[in-house]
Order: sequence, then C-alpha cells, then structure tokens
Amino acid sequence: MWGWWRFGKWTVLIMFLHIIAILIFTKGFLLTRTELPHSSHCSDLSQSPCHSSPSSSSCWTKPAVDRLIIIVLDALRFDFVAPSSFFEEKQPWMDKLKVLQRMASENPSSAKIFKAIADPPTTSLQRLKGLTTGALPTFIDVGNSFGAPAIVEDNFINQLIQNGKRVVMMGDDTWTQLFPNHFNKSYPYPSFNVKDLNTVDNGCIEHLLPSLYQQDWDVLIAHFLGVDHAGHIHGVDSTPMIEKLEQYNAVLEKVIKELQNQSGPGKLHENSLLLVMGDHGQTLNGDHGGGSPEEVETSIFAMSFKDLPSLPSEFDSSSCEPSKNICISSIPQLDFAVTVSSLLGVPFPFGSIGRVNPELYALAVCTWNLDDDKTWNNQDQTKLEEWLQNYANVLCINSWQVKRYIDVYSASSVIGFSSEDLFRISDLYSKADENWSYTKNLSSYKNGSSNTSLPVLKRQIVAYSNFLSYVAELARSKWTEFNLKMMGTGIGIMLLSLYCHTLAIKKLNKSYGVSLLSSRDSGISFGLMLTFFMVLIRAGSLLSNSYILKEGKAANFLLATTGIMTLRYSFMKNKMLIEAAIFLLLTFIFRIAIEVGLYKQAATSQFMSSSSSWMLGISISQSLWTYMAEIMPILALIVLGYFLYKSIYSCCWGIPKYVIMGTILCYFLVALHWISESNILDLAHFLKGFGKNCIPRTVYAITLVQLSLLAIVPMFCKEETSNCRGSLFVKMMSILSACSSTIIILQGKQGALVALGSLLAGYCMMRLQGVEQHTVSGTAGISILDPLPVLQWSLLAVCLLFASGHWCAFDGLRYGAAFVGFDEFILIPQAILLTIDTFGFSNILSVFGLPLFVAFPSSFNQTEHKSLFPIKLFWIFMVYGLITAITAAATILCVTIQRRHLMVWGLFAPKFVFDVVGLILTDLLIFVASIYYFNGLEDRIGNAELRRLW
Amino acid sequence: MKELEKNPQSTISSSQVFFIHVCCGLALVAGFWVAHHVYSLNLVFDPTKTLCLIWAIEFPVVILLFSCCRQKPEKCSYFTAIARGLLGLPIGALLNALGALALGAPVGLQYLEKTVNWSLLMSSFTFVPTACVYGSSWTDWCRIFACTKPNGPLEFMLCLPAHGAVIGAWFGAWPMPLDWERPWQDWPICVSYGAMAGYVVGMVGSFGLALIMHTGRKQLKAE
Repeated sequence: MWGWWRFGKWTVLIMFLHIIAILIFTKGFLLTRTELPHSSHCSDLSQSPCHSSPSSSSCWTKPAVDRLIIIVLDALRFDFVAPSSFFEEKQPWMDKLKVLQRMASENPSSAKIFKAIADPPTTSLQRLKGLTTGALPTFIDVGNSFGAPAIVEDNFINQLIQNGKRVVMMGDDTWTQLFPNHFNKSYPYPSFNVKDLNTVDNGCIEHLLPSLYQQDWDVLIAHFLGVDHAGHIHGVDSTPMIEKLEQYNAVLEKVIKELQNQSGPGKLHENSLLLVMGDHGQTLNGDHGGGSPEEVETSIFAMSFKDLPSLPSEFDSSSCEPSKNICISSIPQLDFAVTVSSLLGVPFPFGSIGRVNPELYALAVCTWNLDDDKTWNNQDQTKLEEWLQNYANVLCINSWQVKRYIDVYSASSVIGFSSEDLFRISDLYSKADENWSYTKNLSSYKNGSSNTSLPVLKRQIVAYSNFLSYVAELARSKWTEFNLKMMGTGIGIMLLSLYCHTLAIKKLNKSYGVSLLSSRDSGISFGLMLTFFMVLIRAGSLLSNSYILKEGKAANFLLATTGIMTLRYSFMKNKMLIEAAIFLLLTFIFRIAIEVGLYKQAATSQFMSSSSSWMLGISISQSLWTYMAEIMPILALIVLGYFLYKSIYSCCWGIPKYVIMGTILCYFLVALHWISESNILDLAHFLKGFGKNCIPRTVYAITLVQLSLLAIVPMFCKEETSNCRGSLFVKMMSILSACSSTIIILQGKQGALVALGSLLAGYCMMRLQGVEQHTVSGTAGISILDPLPVLQWSLLAVCLLFASGHWCAFDGLRYGAAFVGFDEFILIPQAILLTIDTFGFSNILSVFGLPLFVAFPSSFNQTEHKSLFPIKLFWIFMVYGLITAITAAATILCVTIQRRHLMVWGLFAPKFVFDVVGLILTDLLIFVASIYYFNGLEDRIGNAELRRLW
Repeated sequence: MKELEKNPQSTISSSQVFFIHVCCGLALVAGFWVAHHVYSLNLVFDPTKTLCLIWAIEFPVVILLFSCCRQKPEKCSYFTAIARGLLGLPIGALLNALGALALGAPVGLQYLEKTVNWSLLMSSFTFVPTACVYGSSWTDWCRIFACTKPNGPLEFMLCLPAHGAVIGAWFGAWPMPLDWERPWQDWPICVSYGAMAGYVVGMVGSFGLALIMHTGRKQLKAE
C-alpha cells in the first residue's frame, strides 16, 4: 500500500478538488429561486388601490364559480385535443378526444380549447408546482422530483384551504406528496410504475363519477396518468396510446353529461366550471422534461355550464378554424393559478406572477351579451362596461399582488432583479396606477357617458396587461439567478485541480524518465501535440449548442482523425496496417451507430431537424432486418464468450478462472433472456414458469459475487507469479468480464454489439500503441509515454456512450434499463441500474480497461523495465483522468459563458450534469481501479525497489 | 512544355513551380468561372454539377503539367505518366471517399453523387500529381505522405498542396453541424471550400519554399 499511496494520494486529492469545485459551481449555477414563505390573506387587499369586493362573503374577487372540476391528463399533447385541421397532417392519435372538440364547436362561448404553454422543466412535479403557485419552478427541482417535497410556497390549493374550500383529489400520488395535509379526501395511486397503464386511471374513474353527485367538495382534482405512461412505454403513435385516449373520451363524455344534467338552476352544478388540462406535453417517443414545443405545448379545455356570450375582440387572441367553428387561443400556464383563484374568489398565491387570463376568465364571468361591436344596444353596453370594470378591477388586484411580490422578493433576495428592471417595473406600475385612480373616479359616476368610460377602461386593462406581461417576461428571462461568485470559485477550484493533475503527471513523467536514466530532450512529441490539439478542439466545441447536440459525431470525427494518423504511422513503419484499417472500419461502424442514435434523438429533440432518410429505408424493410436484429446480438455474445473462453484456456488459474466462467454462464443466460423476449423462437412459454425477472436478477447476483470475489480474495491469498504483465492482463480480463454481463443485459441487444466493437477497437489500439513513439524516439527500448492512445481510448469511450443509444439529455437516459429485472419502482436499485446503463461502457468499462496499454508488451519495445509498470499504469490513469477533467472543465466554462443562452436549460445544463456526474464517477473508478490493479503489483516488484524508484 | 521536359531531376526551378501552381490555380478559377458564367451553376445550389465541372477542368491541367515533371523520364514516357495520372484519379478518389466516410461524411444514395465528385476533386488535388510524378514507387509515396519528409522543391510541390487540401477539408468540416441553417453548410460544400483554400495555401507555401531553396542554392554556388 505504501507504493500505492505515493501516487494514489494524487487521485484522492484530485477527486476531492473535483467534488468541491463541482459542488460549489452547482450551487451557483443550478440555483433554486428563493422561495418566500409569505402567503396572501383576504385582509391584505385593503393596502391595494383597488376596489375590494362589495359582498362580505368574498375575499379578493367576487367568486364566479362555486365548484371547480379539474381533470388533469398527464402529458396531454396539444394535438390530442385540438382538431386535426389545425395541423398539417392528420396523425392517428389526433381527434380522439372528440367530446371536447364537439363541446368547443357547439358552445363556443361556454367551452373553449386553449393551447397552454408550459415553462420548462416539463416534469410532472415541476408543472404541478408551477400550476399551483403560479411561479416558475427552476431546474434544480428536477433533482427533487423523485423525493417530491411538499410545496412551501403559497399556492392556490393552500389558498383554497385557508378560505374554507374543500378539495378532493384522486389519481397521481404526487399531489398528496406536494400537499400532504390539504385534501379533505384523497384517493392517491402510486405513479412511478411506468409499465402500469391502468391502476391510476381506473382508480380515478372509480371515484370520479360518484363524486360528481356529492356535495362535500368545492374543488375536485382528478389526475390521470395513463397517457404519460403509455407514451413512456409505447410512444405516442401506438395502440395503447390510442386506446387510452379513447377511454378518456368516454370518461369525459360521461362527466360532461352528468354535469350538464345537473347544471339547471338550483342544481348541484349550476355554477360549476370544468377544466380538462394537461400538465405538459410529450415528444413522439413519450419523453418530456425539456423545452421543445412538443413538450411545452399542452392544452386546457374549459367549460362552464352557463350560457355565456363571447368576449370583445380586443382581448380575444384565438385563432379560428372557420370550417369547424372552433377557436383556439393560447394561454401561458403561468396564468393558471391566478385565473382560477380569481374565479373561485380566493386570494391570489403570494408568489404568482401570472395574469388573470381574460378569455378563461370570461368563460365563467360574463354579464353582457353582444355579438358585434356595431350592434350594441344600450343594455349590452352597460353590461360590457360592467364586465370591463370588473375585469379591470381584477387586473388591478392582480398587478398590485405581483408588484407586492416583486418588491418583497427584491428586498429579501440579494441578487434579484437589476435596479434598472425594478425601475422599469415601478414605472410601468405607477403609470397604470395613475390611470387607475382616474378610471376609478370615472366609474364612480355610474351614470356618466359610457362612450367615454369604455375606452378608458380598455386603456386601463391594456396598461395593467403591459405591466404584468413585462414582469412575466422579465421573470422568465432572469429568474435563474446565477451566483457568479460561487460559479467563479467553482471554476477556480476546477482549474486548480487541473493544475494539480498536470503536476502529478509531470512528477510521474519525471520518475519514469529518471528511473530510466535517460533524460528526454524536449519532452514534446508529435503525439503529445496532437493530443493537446484534439483535447482543445473538443473542449472548444462544447461552447456551441450544435456541437453538444452532435457530440457523438464530433467525438467520432476526432477519433477517426486519430485513426487516420495511426494509419499514417503504420504506413510509415509498414507494420500493423491491418489493425489500423480495422480500427478505421470500427470507427465507421460506431459512426453509423451514433447516427442511428442521433436519428432517435432527432425524433424527440426540439433542437434538431431529423434528416438521414436512408436509415428509414433500413428500418422499414421488414423481416430480414428484424431477424438480423434478433440474431446479431446473440451471435456477438457467442463471440464474446468464445474470446473469454480462449483467454481462460490459455492463461488462467484460480479465482479469475471461476470469475470468467461465471461471466460465460451470464452470457448464456443473457442470450436466453433475449431469445425468450423475442418471438423468433417460441420459447416464451418455455420460460414462463421461470419468470422473466429471474434471469436478470441471477445475472446481477452473479456479477455481485464475481466482484466481491475479485475484491476480497486477493487480500487473503497472494499468488506469486513472476509475470506481472500476465497477471495484470488476467486481472483486467476478470474484472471487465465481471462488469460486462450486467452492462450488456441492461443495455439490451445493442449492448452485446457495442461490447464486441469496443473489444475489437481496444485490441487494435493496444496493437497500434507505440507505432508512433518508436519512430519519434528512434532509439529502441525506451518507451516514451505517449498520450495519444489514451486520448483515443477516451474518445472511444465518448463514442460508445453515444453509439449505445444515449445522449446527454434527460430523455437520453434509457429508463427502460431501470426496469430490467424489476417490475416495481424501488428508488435505490433502479437509480443504480440506470447509472450502470448510462455510464457502463463510457466510464466503468473504459476505466477498468485502461491497463490494456500496459498489460500487453508493446510490440515495439520488448525490453521494458519491469519496475516501471506501476508508474506507467498510474500515468495512464492520470492522463485519462486529466482528459476527462479537461472536458468537464470546458463544459463548466462553456455553461458559464452560455448561461443566458436560449438553450441553457434544454442543452447546456443537462450536458453539464452528465459531464459532472461522469467526471466524479471517473475519479471514483480510477481510485478503485488503481487500488485494484496496484494491489499485488507492488508485491511482485518489491517494495524496496519501489522506494528506490520514488 | 518542352522546356519543362528538359528538366529530368527532381530539382526544378522556382519559375517552373510558379508556372505549375499558377496553372493549377487558374484551372480552379476557370472551373468556377465556367460553372458560373457558362452553365450558371453555383457550388452552393448545385454542388454536384459544379464540383464535376471543377474537377473536369482541374484534373487534365494537373495531369498534363505534372506529367512533365515525371521521375526518370528516360524510362517513362510522357504518355505513361499521363496514363498513371488517369489511373491514379479513381484510386485517389476511392481513398479520399473512404477517409471522408470514416470521418463522418453522410452515407446514402442521395449523397453518392456529391461524394463521388468531391472525392474526384480531392483526388486531383492530392493523389494525381504524385501519381504522375512517381507512379507506383512505394518508397517515394511513403516519404512524401506518410513521413512527410519531402526534399527538394518538386516534392514540396507535391506534398504541401496535397496536405493543405486535406487539412483544409478537415477544418472545412467543422461548420457543418452548426445550426446556422445556411445552404453552404451541407456536405460537401464547405468541405470543398476548405479543401480549395487549403490547396491554394499549400501552393503558395510550396512556391515560397521553392523560392527560398532557390536563393539558398544560388548563395551556395556564389560562395
């Protein structure tokens, strides 16, 4: 251990620095908005310049709706609701919720379809938070999504409870996590099992219809999850999705019918409002979380059961489909909380920055009747005036509340809005307010000429709207308050860690060179320069969103460039031509795989236009390809197993032999698992009694046993071999094979192919390393430490991440992997499985595979000094770590530079999270791997000699 | 032409280097000119035809000129050199295309024509001149391309523009993934521009080197 510590301390130090830097930076970058604990109260209104509501029963606004039914359909895409004539092409999933469209076209004044624009991040929890608080939840909350903490901010559910409204909830249990003690009655159902399409929905349906007859609630919330889950598992264009939508249509039809039946005067739902809404949209693959139009655009269908007239055209932003008599307007989800609060007559949530939406408001609150501006009769005009008066007052309260929030917020938060913006806000508000006192006075002369008061009211409403939309815009653009000091500190520590890293490498170089007693002249070889150049280019490329989007292709481009360089060297030496050619061929194959991955990504990503139609040709042309797709991975597994078999046949003994045998058994099981999943051979019934989760779990168990064997056994029994290269190789093979089976089963069928590809590529690299150094150094026998193969290895790792169908975004995670071998959602094992799946090839295998470059005698210098082994091993680990760290540091820098970029939350932040997690994981793995490999090496070399060396 | 042929050794005068490079450059310009004025084509709007025109004009000029500088003219006639160049054109195109594919050029039938024309152009920049001069001499090829150790103005004349074209094309590929949505970002437009720019820079460099070597030799002689 002494020898390990000599350089192992560097890895510990660097890991420590990385973790600190990343923690500090993250704290500055992924900040939550300061959540204010204040809440609004009825009595607050006396401080406002607005009319308080005349009746004593109401609070801020006059309640317009007695009962509210909110039906949330999770991941409701806008095109599920809107008529297909609004879109270029009719898709199979459109026009399924026919009842909503029918209602909207039959009673345009009382039912309306809105396009609701959510704010990213579009995950259910964040959206529920945003919908109820009327604020902008920030990115960091994504991390809390699994733990679903209760909302501490003021929100509209809280206001309902405070004002004695009774709320009933059914469906998704996220609501009960967010509002643990708020509901009078709740029927929560577990939401995390994505494979379960029906439990939540059936529970909702079971309780929804009976509840409609009951009188013990004022607000009913029913949250259906089926569409979200169907999207996650099957995608949008699938039969389960269409079945779900048809089921919802039937349910909604029943609900609307019941409500209509009871909407007569004096009946239960005389004054009810029905809202059918999505919390966010989803992409065609069923993913959501980002900010693409598909994910952000959802829908709100609002229907009141009174016969109401339509709104004056100035406030009507809808776009109409003349043929079908359906108009659709757009509403930001931000406005939801405040609008609903105003309809129910409860105080607006303290932190809401939305605006009372006139169209949604008008659906429930309407007191005038007119068709056309020109045919106003006197009565209509007074009614219109009354409405406008009312709405202006609501907006007045709204603006006052938002202004109060902004004031309190900027007083309590250090870095809030800039003084310039605050000044502009105050300016806009005071202008509107000035106007208001005039308007208020004007309206007090009720008998005054309407012709003058109408334009004044309209002007007033416009002034308030301007203020509110300015605040919302400002909040959107500036809310994520980056703490630049902390970010700067984080970057500083990161740079310091890079400095330490290079220092450590220099030290290693020195001891390597000194021990050889040959001073190297300049120490700058072409390989070093090329590596430096490549790393710099890669780091620089992260500055642009386009390169982040196509990072796989860019990495592959660089990998192929280094491949061409090595090909050139092997031409120079006239050696290893075949290996170099195979390596290039492999990069070509990886590139195809990456493009397939990009194609998958393009289907979901807002930032990419899907191209590459040639791949469609492949995927469509039927049976041969599906057959190939089933057979190829199994063949690849067999080949892998054969390689392993050969390796134990030739050189193994003891524990490693059993480990590798275990892996071969695992491969067999994995192949069996795939065969049972596919329908080529009718083996499914054969294995039914066995259980489909059995095989994956057995594989996990075998892997655990293998790893613990590898970890524990060397501590107790030390085998003496003279050949440290051989023993290193065996160690590497055994740990790689132990890890590979789990990774392959998690990655699914592509996993085997990728594993085979990486094995071949590793072999070629191993053979090719040293091609260049020999020619540079000229003198045989001295191996100059050449970073080029390490760079290639790390580029290959990046390529593998993308080639195995991942990309650096949250929808790039393969959530299906978390459910291999598990049916229910259990947080910790599934988080681990997801991590292994994501970082399996790119980090775990590549770090453990690094000794590849030491384990084999380089064909160019056979006479390497044995004692230099550990140094070279460490050196390789260090250089690999440095390359990863430089990339991560570049990501951090680029994220800082681009923090106001349009896609900072869509692209840069996920990339940042991926890189940072990858970096820490790499550090950790390097730490573990260096202990693992080192333990035993030093015994063979002898401590005395090591002391002499270092 | 005849004056060029009289110079058998690999050493050629800087004026010849200048002449050959200017001719090659002019051929490039002529290709563009013909495409633009005669056929009213543009590299951006119709890369296939434009590239086709450019290489069709460029490669005969290259073959004819470089065949004059062929090595061992006593063993190899002018026409053999031309034949070597003609043979080298498709081989070099194949190699260039393979390299481009490995680096990430789009695969697919709709790109096939573009890739073919681009690689023919690249071949006439990189492969054809050396094929004319050295034929299939493996050691010479290795010296010039693998080891990058050219000696004498003639080898620099072969080596620098070829490397320039390849490196230029490599850099030219970088704007391709950017989201500027400009038509010239498509394969192989910006790569071709990069290659041509690199080629021209390489020619200028080779001419400069030829001048320096020439003056150096003169000084040597003077001393």
